[in-house]
Amino acid sequence: MSVLQAMALPAMPQRQPQPTKEFLNTPEKQGTPRAPWMAVRAPPPPAGTRWGLGGTCVNVGCIPKKLMHQAALLGGAIRDAGRYGWEVAQPARHDWSKMAEAIQNHVRSLNWGHRVQLQERKVKYLNVKARFIDKHTVLGVSKDKKETLLSADHIVIATGGRPRYPTLIQGASEYGITSDDIFWLKESPGKTLVVGASYVALECAGFLTGLGLDTTIMIRSIPLRGFDQQMASLVTDHMASHGTRILRGCTPSRVARLPDGRLQVTWEDRTCGKEDSGVFNTVLWAIGRVPETRGLNLEGAGVETNPESQKILVDARDTTSVPHIYAIGDVAEGRPELTPTAIMAGKLLAQRLFGGSSDLMDYSNVPTTVFTPLEYGCVGLSEEEAVARHGQEQIEVYHAYYKPLEFTVAEQDASQCYIKMVCLRQPPQPVLGLHFLGPNAGEVTQGFALGIKCGASYEQVIRTVGIHPTCAEEMVKLRISKRSGLDPTVTGC
Amino acid sequence: MAAYQEVCVCGFEEFNQAVEQHEGKRIFALFVGSKDTEGNSWCPLCTKAEPVIREGLKSASQECVFIYCQVGDKPYWRDPNNDFRKKLNVTSVPTLLKYGTPKKLVDAECRQANLVEMLFCED
Repeated sequence: MSVLQAMALPAMPQRQPQPTKEFLNTPEKQGTPRAPWMAVRAPPPPAGTRWGLGGTCVNVGCIPKKLMHQAALLGGAIRDAGRYGWEVAQPARHDWSKMAEAIQNHVRSLNWGHRVQLQERKVKYLNVKARFIDKHTVLGVSKDKKETLLSADHIVIATGGRPRYPTLIQGASEYGITSDDIFWLKESPGKTLVVGASYVALECAGFLTGLGLDTTIMIRSIPLRGFDQQMASLVTDHMASHGTRILRGCTPSRVARLPDGRLQVTWEDRTCGKEDSGVFNTVLWAIGRVPETRGLNLEGAGVETNPESQKILVDARDTTSVPHIYAIGDVAEGRPELTPTAIMAGKLLAQRLFGGSSDLMDYSNVPTTVFTPLEYGCVGLSEEEAVARHGQEQIEVYHAYYKPLEFTVAEQDASQCYIKMVCLRQPPQPVLGLHFLGPNAGEVTQGFALGIKCGASYEQVIRTVGIHPTCAEEMVKLRISKRSGLDPTVTGC
Repeated sequence: MAAYQEVCVCGFEEFNQAVEQHEGKRIFALFVGSKDTEGNSWCPLCTKAEPVIREGLKSASQECVFIYCQVGDKPYWRDPNNDFRKKLNVTSVPTLLKYGTPKKLVDAECRQANLVEMLFCED
């Protein structure tokens, strides 16, 4: 592979006699690429956090999130350990700095692992900030201002998204942080206000509470928009009864810094029209994400975006409005903002371009899990979606409240441990959607997602023998329908 | 090409002392199976990797310290509780690492010139 020489503008790079199948991919991509690509340093967020290869997931998403969630769960386990005979000094103190260092070191080792993999696969990695000059030419600028011009037959954009800062709230960006920053704080965030109702907001508020921090979450209207709302309510009910203060129907209006460095937040409570305020050490904005396309000069390349979402418009083959330019992951319109779908889409795209395949990505029945203190795993349709598509009369919903065995000795509250299976009413009652709220929801849901992919029906589910004693077995023991009106509480062995 | 200072040590204690002595500098370390009186290591992969690593070292972009550390004999290395495993998380030889960072190459990776050069050169 020839090494591209950095060139001063306006000289154009020499075109090679044969068009090279150089596969350039502006900014950071999450999965293992199969062709050479170009990586870009993320532009620094207001708090200045920077990170290495691996995208949002590795650096400021899934990985550090799950580790902090685990840290919080361990706090709960330490509390319960006494009931099982362990002599543990209570209350156990948590050292944020120690946790943060361990997690940050792990993330850095993943960054390095990606770097090694790229090198081993002979992928050319250019650490530059990229933008389009025209639809065939990309300009890359390095940290020390060196410029490189690149052209390619195929260009893939996988720049992802970034957290949104509110624009109309005074002090929002000067004094607030986002998920870009929370995982990289060296010191504890202290008393925190999380603003937002997304899974990011709930997960962050969840683990902060679990680590022993005074945590408030401010939700403007409904939690987990787009998810099954009955399940969303149970998730927030659990959080409210386990130490997270939830302010519903409130919107912040101002953030000011007090002389002692703490933050004073003023908000409007829309339920009563009154203004209220509070003092916090940290304000975390989790109000949504915007695609990272601002510096790319997509217009110069003719790549069209959705004017509202600003995401790149793509077809089923991930092709943009320009035939040789593609977009995958969070930056593309209409895609779930998830790591596994982005990675799979990238691999399938590479196979279509260079492997002679015609397989397209299937976005139906993608399983996912919200890692709140009580986890929520789901695959398929929400109850609302199923009713909207098929009508109430054509749907049968089976459900159950259950109590995990592990909750018994420790006398943990299982009020929100709940499962529901949304099926078509017509035999064999194919399963349209599965919703599991309980411990290890991700592990439980993964296997059932395969069942749904294979077209599992309720009749097959109930003929599946459960593994005992587990929470997952309650899924195959579902017998009570909502329609029957019977009490869905499971009595244990 | 930058100047590098090589420090040869044997065992965990000497390794730590060398790190302390050069605190604040960029430190690279190569861990190999110890050599016998004839100069042969019990670790054949280490023997193969060493010339690749010495070549890569020449292209280090900034001044640095290179600690060449013989870990001990084979029985010592096999002990799952040896200090390198427990305190430094070095679990195989050869291991080439940039001290104080998660950047490391292990086993066959140490023989790949492009990976070795990347470890020495990139920030």
